[in-house]
Order: sequence, then C-alpha cells, then structure tokens
Amino acid sequence: MNISEQIDKGYRFLQTQLESAKPKIGLILGSGFSEVADHVQVLSTTPFDHIPGFPKASVEGHEGIWIVARLDGVDLVIMKGRIHYYEGHSMQTLSLPVRIMSKLSIETMILTNASGAINSDLSPGDLMLIKDHINLSFTNPLIGTNNPELGPRFPDTSTTYTLKLRQQATHVANQLQIPIIEGVYLFTSGPSYETPAEVRMMRTLGADVVGMSTVPEALAAKHAGMKVLGISQVTNMAAGLSSSPLSHEDVLKTTAGNSSNTTSFVLGCIKSLAES
Amino acid sequence: MREKSQLAEAYHKVTDNVAFRPRIGLILGSGLGLFAESLENQLAIPYRGIPHFPQVSIEGHQGNLVFGQVIGKDVVAMQGRVHFYEHGEMASVRFPVRLMHLMGVTNLIVTNACGGLRENQYPGALMLIKDHINFMGTNPLIGPNDDSLGPRFPDMSQPYDASLTNIARSTAKDLNMDLLEGVYCAVSGPHYLSGAELKMLRIAGADTVGMSTVPEVIVANHCGIKVLGISCITDMAIPESLSPLTHHEVIEVAARTRPRFISFIQAIIAKLPTS
Repeated sequence: MNISEQIDKGYRFLQTQLESAKPKIGLILGSGFSEVADHVQVLSTTPFDHIPGFPKASVEGHEGIWIVARLDGVDLVIMKGRIHYYEGHSMQTLSLPVRIMSKLSIETMILTNASGAINSDLSPGDLMLIKDHINLSFTNPLIGTNNPELGPRFPDTSTTYTLKLRQQATHVANQLQIPIIEGVYLFTSGPSYETPAEVRMMRTLGADVVGMSTVPEALAAKHAGMKVLGISQVTNMAAGLSSSPLSHEDVLKTTAGNSSNTTSFVLGCIKSLAES
Repeated sequence: MREKSQLAEAYHKVTDNVAFRPRIGLILGSGLGLFAESLENQLAIPYRGIPHFPQVSIEGHQGNLVFGQVIGKDVVAMQGRVHFYEHGEMASVRFPVRLMHLMGVTNLIVTNACGGLRENQYPGALMLIKDHINFMGTNPLIGPNDDSLGPRFPDMSQPYDASLTNIARSTAKDLNMDLLEGVYCAVSGPHYLSGAELKMLRIAGADTVGMSTVPEVIVANHCGIKVLGISCITDMAIPESLSPLTHHEVIEVAARTRPRFISFIQAIIAKLPTS
C-alpha cells in the first residue's frame, strides 16, 4: 500500500471517531506530557492498533491512544503517546498520523517531547520552545515518491516552527509565570543514549537539546502546510554533563515532578492558539 | 522472537564443541586476526559451521570463532569481524556479540584498524578508545527491545569501561609502549572518506575514523558486557595531506604492528578478572 492509500484508509476510519467535533488543532503528547489528556473532555478514544496502518505503541510512558477531545469549546485531536523511529517503524509510518490529521482539516500541530540538555545553561524540568531543529537521523520522512497533493517535492524548512505560535506560547508562559526559553532540538535515532563525545559534537553543531522524536512529525506537518508549535521538556542533562548514568526511569521521574507546570502550559497554549 | 531462537541454536552448536565458558571475548579487526593463532589449546569453529552466524567476506578477516587460553585464561575470539557495510543491516552485527553474551562473556576487547585524523598520530600507533561517535546513520538497537537483555534506552555515558581502560593504560606503561588515546568515529563505509568529510569529522571531535566497532560496543553495553577498545592506526587520514588509500596498505601496517599488538593484548588479558 502506498502512503496515499494508507492515509485514506486511516482517514476514513478516524473520521467516524470525530463525533460532532471539528478539530483544527492536533496535539502529540510525548514522555511526561500525558497528563494533559486528563484535563480535557474526551469525546472518543481509539487505541493505535485499531487504526488501519498504525502500529502499537511499545514504550513505557507512551500509551498509544488517539483521542478526540474538547477543551473549553475548542475541539482537538490528541495522540497520547507516539510512534518512534527506534521502535523499528519506517519514517513513512511516523508521518502517517500527521498526514491523517492534515486530511481531517487540522491546521495546527502541537508537538511535545522530553529531551536531554546539551546546553549547560539548561536544567532538568526546564521548558523549551523549539525554534529550529537539526535532523541527525540520516533519513527523512519525505524520502520516496512525492504526492503533490500532499505537499511540494522540496518543502522549505526555513521556518518549520511558526513564529507567531512561538510568540503566543511565550505570552502564555509569561502569564502563567512559567519560565520558558527557545532553542534548537537535535533529532537522533536512538535508542541508546548519546555518548559524551556525541554530546560534544552536537553542541558544536549548534544543538541545545537532544531527543529521539518530533522532527519526523514536524517535517511531515511542514510539508502538509501546517503550522507547528514544538514544546520540549528537559528531563536530564545529556551524557558528560552530569556524573550520573542516564535512565528512562529518571526521565519519567523528572516529568512527573514537573507535570502541573507542563500541563497548565500546554492547556494554555491550546486555548491561545484556538483564539487566533 | 526469531533472533532469540537463532541465538539458541548457535549457542547449542558452539557449546557442544567447547567444554569451557570463557568470560573474556575478543573481536579482532582487520589484519589482527592472527592473534587467534597465539592462543593455547586453540579450537577454531568456522562461522559457516555455526547456524545463523553471519558470514564474512573481507580480505584479512578469516571467519572463525576461536576458543583457547591466554596465559591459562579462557577466551573466545572472533577471528574476522562482521561489518555493517557487508550486510546492510545491523542484525548481523548484533548476532556475534549476543552469542558471546549467551556464552557468558562479561569482558569484551574490541579491536580495529582505523585512520588517524590528528597530527600527533602515526601509522602503526595503538590507540585506546576513550569514547566514540556513531556516525553510521543507524543504530543496532533500532527495533523491538528484548527487555531480558537490557533496557530500551541504554546509557552510553561510559561505553568503554573505566577499570578496563585503566588496566590497558598501566599495561602499556609496564611494557614501555606508546599508547595514544582518543575518540573513534564510526561511519558506514565502504568507501574511504573524502578530505572534506574527514575535516567535518575532526570538527565533530573525532580522533580516528573506521567502519566498525561502535555497533558492537552499543550491543555489548546494552546487555551489560564491559568493553575495552583498542585501535590500530593503519593510515593517516589528515585531510590536508591525503593520498590514495588501499585496503592492502591497511592490512600491511596492521601486520607490521601485530607483534606489539599481540603482546599488549596478552598482557592486558593477564590482568583481567575471570569471574
């Protein structure tokens, strides 16, 4: 099945899950952001593996549920959990949820993730707006035949993360008195964490944080002409910046400790983006 | 999982032939395979005789799993390495390391031939790998994780074990041997890099460049094997003064370095714990 057929199949199925909703915002909840889903009115839920073309989510902290939701009158689609490249899925599969959201007339993607700090000015718990990214995965979700109906062969990525959305998000953070900074997110395949030598290289290359997600989705969204907001929560210092070894348990612990801030910030962003 | 049952088959075939379970494993790089012939009571099992074991196709890589002793200590050595560029997938590179893990190997010495990016290096130099950069464009752990082997997201803050690294340092001192240290960068190959690419890797922080080792080290760390990495710098990859390079030259320098390499590795093994 080619990508267009896959999108169609998923789209037809997920259209029936919309109930009365007319979502314009799509939200992908990464590690540590899942609590956001507890604060919305749920209209329908679908496990990933019920959706044609979707794999099952396999990572702890990632449930893998497609939720149609409403927040103060704002309709949205939420992916609670995401599909990762390191799980062995193709880049095309990673772009599928975004493609389907685009076909469902969603215009704005909010992408969230947990990341490791490369910039030593950052600390665990910090929230960062992604202002740009570096794709160091050596692959790209747009490799393959291009369907011009989905987007251009050579999409511009001079501004993947929409300036206006970043300004709105900064305003939301200021109002909530949550400190926020902007930075560059570097995407690597994982699943092994980086070595100290790799972290030094990434810093030389201009990265502020490193993670194993988001960029494939952002590229697919940009290709589809969607607006993108990227929110990263620093959960640990990258290797070489602290003396302790890295573990996913610690990542989850940091996110749990900081969940009220991240949750209210994301909820605030949804409302702010819906108003404009 | 398919890999698990394949490993079990390979394990039974190998252990049917060998009475002991070595704790020390070696992966011998280009031109360094002859180390296996220095083993006492050696027993060589050809890769092609082991079910599902990936085959090797490179000159200078013999393709035997060799069991024996070094100064009375049980070891198993891969005489001939499996490269990513030979197979185009990482399952083949994973297999031998996971087989060693299954056999009970807890300390792994990985060796390779590589190109030197720094002016203070010279062909024939031995270098302790302090850290690495994976520039291969893929990772051997992509795919479903077997939680019984190791965590989904293994830590890599110290891929080369500190105590083994210190043993190597003190051994070099004892032997009055020059031992360089540095960061090894792995690329997929199989072509040698361009001057511009070498320059880029130097900016990225690499001291040497090669086409192996890093995937094996990641797989070993994942399942809790301690790793020591020793590189033999066989050619200078200084971007400003690059001359055409052949695999033949690499093998030749590795062969010249071999006696020093063999006595160094033997002296390291003498100091390694066996439990």
